[in-house]
Amino acid sequence: MWSFCASTSGSAVVLPDGRCDIIVRNHASTPHEIKPVITGPATRPYHVDFDAGDQWFGIRLRPEHGAALWQGDLGNAPDSVLRGPEALDRLPSLSALHGVPLTRDALAQIIPSLTWPRVDPRLTRAIDILHASGGRLRIDALAECVGCTSRHLNRVFRRNVGLSAKTYAQLIQFHRTLKLITSGNVPIIAAAFEGGYSDHAHMTRTFRRFGGFTPSGIPTDLSLPGIPFK
Amino acid sequence: MKLGYTIIYVADVPKTVAFYEAAFGLKQRFIHESNLYGEMETGETILAFAGTEAAEMNGLAILPNSPDGPAAAWEICFVTDDVAAAYERALSEGCQPVGAPSEKPWGQIVSYVRDLDGCIVEIASPIQGSA
Repeated sequence: MWSFCASTSGSAVVLPDGRCDIIVRNHASTPHEIKPVITGPATRPYHVDFDAGDQWFGIRLRPEHGAALWQGDLGNAPDSVLRGPEALDRLPSLSALHGVPLTRDALAQIIPSLTWPRVDPRLTRAIDILHASGGRLRIDALAECVGCTSRHLNRVFRRNVGLSAKTYAQLIQFHRTLKLITSGNVPIIAAAFEGGYSDHAHMTRTFRRFGGFTPSGIPTDLSLPGIPFK
Repeated sequence: MKLGYTIIYVADVPKTVAFYEAAFGLKQRFIHESNLYGEMETGETILAFAGTEAAEMNGLAILPNSPDGPAAAWEICFVTDDVAAAYERALSEGCQPVGAPSEKPWGQIVSYVRDLDGCIVEIASPIQGSA
């Protein structure tokens, strides 16, 4: 769960991390008017504009639980965003939040209403290994690690996460490399190597695809709402 | 029982010993004439290097370390009061940067590099209150 309250107006870039969010947004002066938002697994960056006093409460699902939110529609969910009535159609229990003070606890109440499909434990393990290895494992090696074929692993990724295993791995690799540059102060060429990119051009293409910027032009307003690396 | 040795299997023992002398300021204790085993002067718990061939001779199956892939799931950590200087020295001697020195919430300065074989080496300040 996360929350964010804007102290000034502005805009921010939200980076894709392949996970689905359930978000409710309101303004501090009118806390009872809420705008529900549901996001599919994101692979593209998007911009959010906000005013001072805007606040968000969100639930970020573990990647393999995308199917719990989108059910049979997960195939169409990547990079889609449902707002207002569409979000309520997707998750009717969100309507219970109308007229009540918005808190993390109130938002947490809607989680049990999701129907959680069974997740192959090998998928959960594969996701954990991918995070630990910075997305640097090939999918066939990853499948071998968890004891299944890469075909099966891809099938459960698409069925539960909504993305291919490779796309999810590339997202992790992107976030880790970005963190090497921004938090680790690692020079760009060295970050490309440590991040596991075959060359600088390959890293630049990935940064443009997932971030909309180049490694040397990383914007400073990437922090809304806090994107965890795991 | 006590921890006596940390032994890292490496492609080239003399080269690794020389690298650790230059990059981390350790001294070599000895290198066996076979060039398949060497020890550093690290006090009571010895940091040693053995050739990957030695793993096979000992009946071990290992995945050799490589700077080209993700690191193995362990690290060694050197402790110093001047992390910034040690980090810069490591980089100038050929280590790959992974995380420049930064202060943890508990006051410790921590940095990470990878050595010539891609092994993770942490360079950190002592935790305050400990020796």
